[in-house]
Amino acid sequence: MTADNGAVSPAGLESTAGAGVIHDLGYRHYEGPRLGRAGIIRALYWHSLRSAFGIGRGAKAKIVPVLMFALICLPAIVNAIALAQHPGQAPIVDYDTYTYRLRSLVMLIFVAAQAPELVSRDLRSHVLPLYMSRPMRRLDYPLAKLTAFTAACLLMLEIPLIILYVGNILSAGGGSAVWAQTRALIPGMGVAALWAVLLAAIGLVLASLTGRRAYATGMIAIYLFLTWTLSAILVNIAQQGPVGPRSVPLGPNAVAPLGARLGGLISPFTVLDGVRQWLGGTNPGPIPPPGSVGFLYGIMFLVLLAACLAGLAARYRKVGAA
Amino acid sequence: MLSTVTAPPQLRAGPGPGDAGTAAAVIRTDALTKRYAVDVTALAGLTVDIHPGITGLVGANGAGKSTLIKILLGLLPPTSGRAVVLGHDVSASGERIRTLTGYMPEHDCLPPDVTGTEFVTHLGRMSGLPATAAKERAAESLRHVGLYEERYRQVGTYSTGMKQRVKLAQALVGDPRLLLLDEPTIGLDPAGRRSMLDLISRIGAEFGISIVVSSHLLGEIEQICDQLVVIDGGRLLRSDTMTSFTQVSQVLVVEVDEGIAALVAELAARGMAPRRSGRRGLLVQIDGEQTYDTVRDAVAGLGLPLNRLEQQRRRVEELFRDSGDEDAGDEEEHGDS
Repeated sequence: MTADNGAVSPAGLESTAGAGVIHDLGYRHYEGPRLGRAGIIRALYWHSLRSAFGIGRGAKAKIVPVLMFALICLPAIVNAIALAQHPGQAPIVDYDTYTYRLRSLVMLIFVAAQAPELVSRDLRSHVLPLYMSRPMRRLDYPLAKLTAFTAACLLMLEIPLIILYVGNILSAGGGSAVWAQTRALIPGMGVAALWAVLLAAIGLVLASLTGRRAYATGMIAIYLFLTWTLSAILVNIAQQGPVGPRSVPLGPNAVAPLGARLGGLISPFTVLDGVRQWLGGTNPGPIPPPGSVGFLYGIMFLVLLAACLAGLAARYRKVGAA
Repeated sequence: MLSTVTAPPQLRAGPGPGDAGTAAAVIRTDALTKRYAVDVTALAGLTVDIHPGITGLVGANGAGKSTLIKILLGLLPPTSGRAVVLGHDVSASGERIRTLTGYMPEHDCLPPDVTGTEFVTHLGRMSGLPATAAKERAAESLRHVGLYEERYRQVGTYSTGMKQRVKLAQALVGDPRLLLLDEPTIGLDPAGRRSMLDLISRIGAEFGISIVVSSHLLGEIEQICDQLVVIDGGRLLRSDTMTSFTQVSQVLVVEVDEGIAALVAELAARGMAPRRSGRRGLLVQIDGEQTYDTVRDAVAGLGLPLNRLEQQRRRVEELFRDSGDEDAGDEEEHGDS
């Protein structure tokens, strides 16, 4: 019977516990420091960033992120090997476009597979009420998730560029060559940052719509892949121009038809490339140079991003209350 | 059966109901009202003080228990009225309240593919504990709720009872001063219910943590509570200490292993009107101290093996059945719950 212990006050309790009670229930209060809201958000950020790469989960959870990471690093590694074996050769991979087909495909798979890992799991297991009962505000959760997933995408996109850069400067002769590489790297990293910000937001907002991982992955993959294909088709059709004897093949300096220049607005990947070209990127990409309509790509980028952020905020504003 | 009901008030007599009137309220609501839509009223002017100790929040499904808990956590703004938790207003200091409060939701809220330790550690961090402290407290909390080696297994492999314990552990991990437990015994078998109630009662008694435990089963949580708050249709039906709920009735319960018929005859001969209760029990109206002596003498005179001799405590549900007749407005919805 625990009646004797039950009757003492909390203060008296601790002294009894100290005196050595037989049962091992000796509850100790926590007297140490507590992190504030910012600390909690940071903890959730790290937790989410780790889970984006399957760290802290089983081995199976690491397969896709590790595979995708290896794949996206491959061009940079091949480039480094090629340059090491043939010194003086021009780099075969550019910083700003970075084998855009492979990059798009890898990021498509990475986002589709890993964004649900961050948000759909919590929805599926109804764990959100537990987060909401913690000393944080309602939008802190999506904020931590978004920054974490953006950081994860940044790692996926920037690390290959760093490898590329290191490979290039190792075989570059002289300080001016290093300087040239550095100057080319910076805009490349900027483009990669745009990719990370937009793709992370798209992935999370779509994944937050459902607690079923498979649906979320399918939704993201279908959205990204369909729009990508659609853009490519539109650009191709418009670029070929009216079929007939008067159609002239486009020269390298000719301005593409308006339809081809607008076709890229549909897919996030081509929007990102449009922004790159609008901001001054000259390497050929998946879409023709947008020219005078380049600003539309900038607007489209912002609209897409704003829509995703608003969608995320709306999604989590009501959570835990209803 | 009844003997188990009588134990808790004695167990918790010290800090609980005795000085409940003078102790500062843990939770204080004032005309708290929540309307979801124009015509859906979840809480209608609820005014109640909840004191330190274990408080049962009782009401039928849809009575407003979960709404009240969410308002108390500062997650749901009240339509009107005020609520103060541990001295903090829910509208202004939700984050502060959530630092001091642990919450165990009614529904399943556990991811299947992490271990109990990982899960509780993570939620400890979410409660604001630094990494090392979160690990230590997670291990301790899991031990307190009775999960030992199992805590290294994935939650998906746990039984319902173990899952409920993990839910309780995550509420406990941040060392709260107040625990809000929403239907903690739901889905458990009788043995599981009993051990969960034991656990809650121990946490309340030995850890110095105030607990509000909601249930739609009055008979269940009355066993562990110091105070009961009964709500119905968003209104306060009654709030009182357990002792005043279970006012000792003026009936003596006598139980003997054999010779019950002889005892009835003997007591009748001594001028009493005993009623049979069950196979071996008798109920005797108490007319003062001498009633005990008379019964004792009667039993001793017959040489019967006496099992039990105590004042009958009435279960709270019976009280509501009675008061339902008096309060014309409030029908007896609790009889069926």
